Amino acid sequence: MSSPETGTPPRPAFEVSNLSIWYGEKPAVRDVTIDIPSKTITAIIGPSGCGKSTFLRCLNRMHELIPRTRIEGKVLFQGEDLYSTGSDPTIVRRRIGMVFQKSNPFPTMSIAENVVIGLKLNGVRNRKLLDERLEKSLRMAALWDEVKDDLHKPGMSLSGGQQQRLCIARAIAVEPEVLLMDEPASALDPIATMKIEELIHELVANYTIVIVTHNMQQASRVSDRTAFFYVGRLIEFGETTQIFTQPKEKQTEDYITGRFG
Amino acid sequence: MIAPKHILGTFDEALASLRNNVLMMAGLTERSLDRAMKGLFQRDDDLCTHAIADDEEIDQLEKQIDKDGVDVLLRFQPVASDLRRVVSAMKLSSNLERMADQATNIARRARKLNQHPALPEVELIRPMHTHAMSMFKDSIDAYVREDVQLGRAVVPRDEKLDELNRVASRRLIQRMAENPDQLRGYLNLMFIARHLERVGDHATNIAEDAVYAAAAEDIRHQAYVAPT
Repeated sequence: MSSPETGTPPRPAFEVSNLSIWYGEKPAVRDVTIDIPSKTITAIIGPSGCGKSTFLRCLNRMHELIPRTRIEGKVLFQGEDLYSTGSDPTIVRRRIGMVFQKSNPFPTMSIAENVVIGLKLNGVRNRKLLDERLEKSLRMAALWDEVKDDLHKPGMSLSGGQQQRLCIARAIAVEPEVLLMDEPASALDPIATMKIEELIHELVANYTIVIVTHNMQQASRVSDRTAFFYVGRLIEFGETTQIFTQPKEKQTEDYITGRFG
Repeated sequence: MIAPKHILGTFDEALASLRNNVLMMAGLTERSLDRAMKGLFQRDDDLCTHAIADDEEIDQLEKQIDKDGVDVLLRFQPVASDLRRVVSAMKLSSNLERMADQATNIARRARKLNQHPALPEVELIRPMHTHAMSMFKDSIDAYVREDVQLGRAVVPRDEKLDELNRVASRRLIQRMAENPDQLRGYLNLMFIARHLERVGDHATNIAEDAVYAAAAEDIRHQAYVAPT
């Protein structure tokens, strides 16, 4: 486990209470209350359409990019209300980065430009700082050794697994506090998948990571805690080992053992 | 099995086959122990020979269950109750194999005893046999019916078997001093008592694994507190 076992528990990274989200009339997430601890890996599992991606997106206000969404309830990040009137979604998204299912490097940009674009958009012009952050981010994303001689080649020239690690490097270049990952390895081969998982294990020393995955083995391999969602509701949340050896809820048991429906 | 059907039919079949092999192994082990003990009490060498011969089939079943268990782990990556079922099947098979070895040991000792005039002290073994077999049957029942209470209840019963073993040993040592001519026979009876005591240990392990399979609870190595 990544969390220290000493004294009072540190404040959770996210404190979500009674969160509901609608797309138009359709409820996607219903009355979810959950605390996501800091600097741990939390996996979210559940069948398609259970609201897990919607939930993930509302942790950095990404769902607002979809029209006609409505939200109720509270999401505190480091104790601050993410949805208070004074909260700027752009700043929220800089502090809480996201990696998507499909790797999406900017097609017209080089590998290097892809990594530092976030910093440039945030007004960083210092060449030395940009170069430092470029190397540091690529190293953290375990990609530096593979691309250090090709930094000016297009990002799209990389393999799928490398592109995904490039996107992770891009996400961490702006030094966020949280990484949200939506099926980050589902389109990758097993070796590339393991590289991403290894990377997740290394990143958790500095980041809070929330990962949505359909791959139950992946959830059991990488995460400290697992949340199971079903029809928009949080059914069970607990230590990953507990969820996968002795789930408390029958719905969780039926889903993870493949006895659903 | 209580659980609803798995989406993968082949997974359900593999789990069922694993379980059936464990049950078959339990049946054969019980028969083997029965034959060895009857061979002792009825002074019947044929029964002893059968008990010894059956061991081969039980050994093969142990290997089959291990192979099938590894296969299920590899192919289906079971979790939750499915995972516990596979793990407990593999652990049960190892305990059953050792119990069957005890049956073989008992049968060998019984054949030696049968070569000499009957010793009345064989009656010291009878209560141990009854007690060990009832622990064994209940532990298997607990596994079959996923009966946590029954499984839990088997564990403390091992104390009584240990006590019966101590009583039998003390008495046999006393008889050795009184009647050194029968030293060899008394020693064989002491070994048989010891083998039955081991049967009780394996029954305890099986009961503990049955509780783990049914309730995900590890009840091993807990200090037993007698009910007040």
